[in-house]
Amino acid sequence: MEQQIKSIVIVGGGTAGWLTAAILAADHNVDQGQLLSPTALNITLVESPDVATIGVGEGTWPSMRHTLQHIGISETEFINSCDASFKQGSQFNNWCTNSADTYLHPFSLPVGIPDFNICPYWLPFLQQVSFADAVNAQARLSLAGLAPKQISTAEYSFINNYGYHLDAGKFSNLLQQHATSKLGVQHVKAHIAQIRNTVTGNIDAIITTDGRALHADLFIDCSGAASMLLGQHLAVPFIQQKQVLFNDSALAVQLPYPQADAAIASCTQSTAQPNGWVWDIGLQSRRGVGHVYSSAHCSDDQAEQQLRHYLQQSGAENTELLTLRKLSFNPGHYARCWQKNCVAIGMAAGFIEPLEASALALVEWSAKYVSAQLPLPNSLLSIAADRMNQAFNQHWQQIIEFLKLHYVLSKRRDHDYWHDHRESSSIPPRLQHLLQFWQHKVPSNQDITHSDVLFPAASYQYILYGMGFETQQSAPLKPSQQKKAQALFEENIKRVQQLAAALPPNRQLLDKIRQYGLPPI
Amino acid sequence: MTKHVLLNSIEHLDLKVITERGAEFGDNVWFTPTFPLEFRSVQAHYPIFFHKDASTGQFFSVAVFGFSHQENLFLHDDNWRGYYVPLTLRRQPFLIGKQVVREDGAEQTQTVIHLDIDSPRVSKEQGEALFLPLGGGSPYLDEVSNMLKTIHLGLQDNAAFVALLLEHKLLESFTLDIQLDDGSKHQMIGFYTINEDSLAALSTEVLGQLHAKGYLQAIYMLIASQANVRSLLKLKNQLNATAAC
Repeated sequence: MEQQIKSIVIVGGGTAGWLTAAILAADHNVDQGQLLSPTALNITLVESPDVATIGVGEGTWPSMRHTLQHIGISETEFINSCDASFKQGSQFNNWCTNSADTYLHPFSLPVGIPDFNICPYWLPFLQQVSFADAVNAQARLSLAGLAPKQISTAEYSFINNYGYHLDAGKFSNLLQQHATSKLGVQHVKAHIAQIRNTVTGNIDAIITTDGRALHADLFIDCSGAASMLLGQHLAVPFIQQKQVLFNDSALAVQLPYPQADAAIASCTQSTAQPNGWVWDIGLQSRRGVGHVYSSAHCSDDQAEQQLRHYLQQSGAENTELLTLRKLSFNPGHYARCWQKNCVAIGMAAGFIEPLEASALALVEWSAKYVSAQLPLPNSLLSIAADRMNQAFNQHWQQIIEFLKLHYVLSKRRDHDYWHDHRESSSIPPRLQHLLQFWQHKVPSNQDITHSDVLFPAASYQYILYGMGFETQQSAPLKPSQQKKAQALFEENIKRVQQLAAALPPNRQLLDKIRQYGLPPI
Repeated sequence: MTKHVLLNSIEHLDLKVITERGAEFGDNVWFTPTFPLEFRSVQAHYPIFFHKDASTGQFFSVAVFGFSHQENLFLHDDNWRGYYVPLTLRRQPFLIGKQVVREDGAEQTQTVIHLDIDSPRVSKEQGEALFLPLGGGSPYLDEVSNMLKTIHLGLQDNAAFVALLLEHKLLESFTLDIQLDDGSKHQMIGFYTINEDSLAALSTEVLGQLHAKGYLQAIYMLIASQANVRSLLKLKNQLNATAAC
C-alpha cells in the first residue's frame, strides 16, 4: 500500500497549536469519547518551555461551540475554567460619525434566512428601525445585557446564537490538558535547534536542543508571528496588507470590574479612535481592553493617552496604575499556508488585525481543512496543498475586504487616518466594485463567489446598514413578499418581548453555571 | 404568596393543617417531583418522566397528573380518587429548611421544619393539630417529619441517579403527541425519559453498577410507568365528555 501521511508534529503550544492538535485527534483518534487503539494519526506537539504565548485573541465565533463539543470538552468545564462569558456579536461605537453613533453586528442571522432575504423589505423602514433591530431579537436582547440562553438550556444549545469571550492563556491550558489526557496527543517541551530537510526539500525532522529528532510526515507550524517553519525555514513570501489596513500596533490592558457583581457585556465593544479603535471584552472576572492603531498615524504616547482616556470614560478607577502591554504586528499573510509537507495555522500563516475576531475562526477552519485531508497518500500531498492554498487565499481576500468595509463606510473626518482609509488607492478593486453594486441592490449570497465563507451576505448587510450606507433599490418589491416580511418583522417584535422576560442577565447565568452546571442534554 | 417560617411550638401551638386534597389548596399541579425510593408507589398510577427545574437546569423525576399547566386529572372532589399521593405534595405546607447551629464550638448545618404560614392549608379551626395540648409534637407532626426526611434523602438520591443516567447517556427528550376522543390533538414537550437503545447497549459492568445502587429497578419502573399515559388520556376524555353534557 502507498505510504500515507499519518504522523504529525505541531510546532508551538498556544491556542492555535492545541486547538489544532485537539481537532485532529478528535477527528481521527477518538470514537464516542474513547481513544482508539491503535490511533489513526500519531500527533505530537512540541513547544518551547519558556516562550510566552501572546495571550490576546479573547473573542471567538459561534463556530467554537461546535468545535469544543466535537473535541469532547463539556461547556460547563470550559466556561468555568477559562473565565469565559457569552459573546453575541460586536457593537461598534463612533465608527460612523464620531457622535455617539452605535450599531451591532450580531451573530444571529436575519429572520427568513436561508430561504428569504428580508433586507430589501427593511429598506423602506430605515428611518424607523435599525436593520439589526428589525431582523432579529439578538440585537436588543444582547445590548440589554441578557444571556443567549437559560440555565435549563442544554450545553452548546442556544436561544440566541453565541460564541465566547475567554482568557486565552487559560483556554490554551484547558486544551493542552484535554488533548494530552483524553485525546492521546504527545507533548514535548523542548527548544528547537534546527529543522532538517529531506533530499526533496520536505521537512524531515525537528531537532531539539536536547538532541532529540522529531520525525513526522506532516509538520504544522503554530509558532505564531515567528512563522518558524513556513516563513523562516521554507521562505514562503509574505504579502503585506498595511497599504489596505493600516493598524500595526496595539496596547493591551487587563482590569478588574468596579464591583464583583458588575454587569458583563455580552458583545465585544469596538470604539473608534482618532487613529484606530479600542476593543473591550468582558470576561467573568475582568475586562480585557486594548487600543489597536496605526503607528504611521499616531505615536505610542498618543495611543496610550487615548486608551487611558477611554478607560476613564468607561468607569475604570486609578487607570494611571494599570500596566499596558505593547504589541506590534505586521498586517498580512503568507502567499501560501501549505508548502511541501508543512501547513501553517494561526498567526504563523498571517494576521491582519483583531477587528471582527476572525483569528480563532480561521484556526478552526484551517485545522478542520487539514484534518479532512488525512490520512493522505503521499502522492496527493501537493494537490491537497494547492487546494487548501486556494481556499486560504480566498479567505484572506474576504477578511481583508470585509474589515476594510468598516473603515471605508466611516464618515469620520477628524483625522487623516480615516481620510486615508477612504482613499480609493487603499481599497481593493473587488470591494470597490461590490460597493458600486450595493448602491442598487442589497448584498446577497450571490455576491460571495466561493463556498465555505467566513462572512455571509448577512454580515455585509449588518455592517453596511449599521453604518448608514444608502442603497437605492432598483427592483420593485412584490406585495406578497412584503406581506411575508411584515409578518416576520412582527414575529420578531413578539420574540423580543417574550425573551426579554425569559432570559437572565449574563452574569446571573454565569454564576448559576458555576453553581449547578449546564445540563448536558 | 408564600411565607416560610421556622416551625416552633410557641407561636404555632394552636395551628392545624387541613389534609384534604383540592385545587383550593394548590393541588392543581401538572406534575410533582418524585424520586427512586418512591417509584414503586408512584408508578402504579402515574407516568414518571424527567423535567428540568427552570431555575437550576437540574433534572428531576416527576409524577405527571395531566397534559398542561395546572391540570391535575386525579383531583376529584377531595379524595384524589383514592390513589397514592406523592410525598412532595403530601408534605404541603411544610418544607425542609437548613439551620446553622454551633455545637461544641463547631458550626453544623442541621435540617429543620419550615412552615408556609400563608398556605390555605393552615388553619386554627380545622385539620390536624401540630402540637399536643400539653406540649410535644402530635403524631401528625411526627409523620410530617418522617416525610420531610424521606424527601430530603430521596431528592439527594435522585440527583445521584440522574448523574449516572446522564453519564451513560440514558436520558433523552421526547415529544408526546396525543389525540383525544373529540379529535383534538395536543403535544406535550419539555419532558425526558429513558433512552431504551442506550439501555440495551449497556455493558454488564455498568448494568451491575446500576443494579448495586437499586437504579436498574428504578429504570424499569420508569419505563413501565409510561403505560399510565393511557389512564391520563382516559381521565381527560371522561372529563371532556362530562363537560360536554
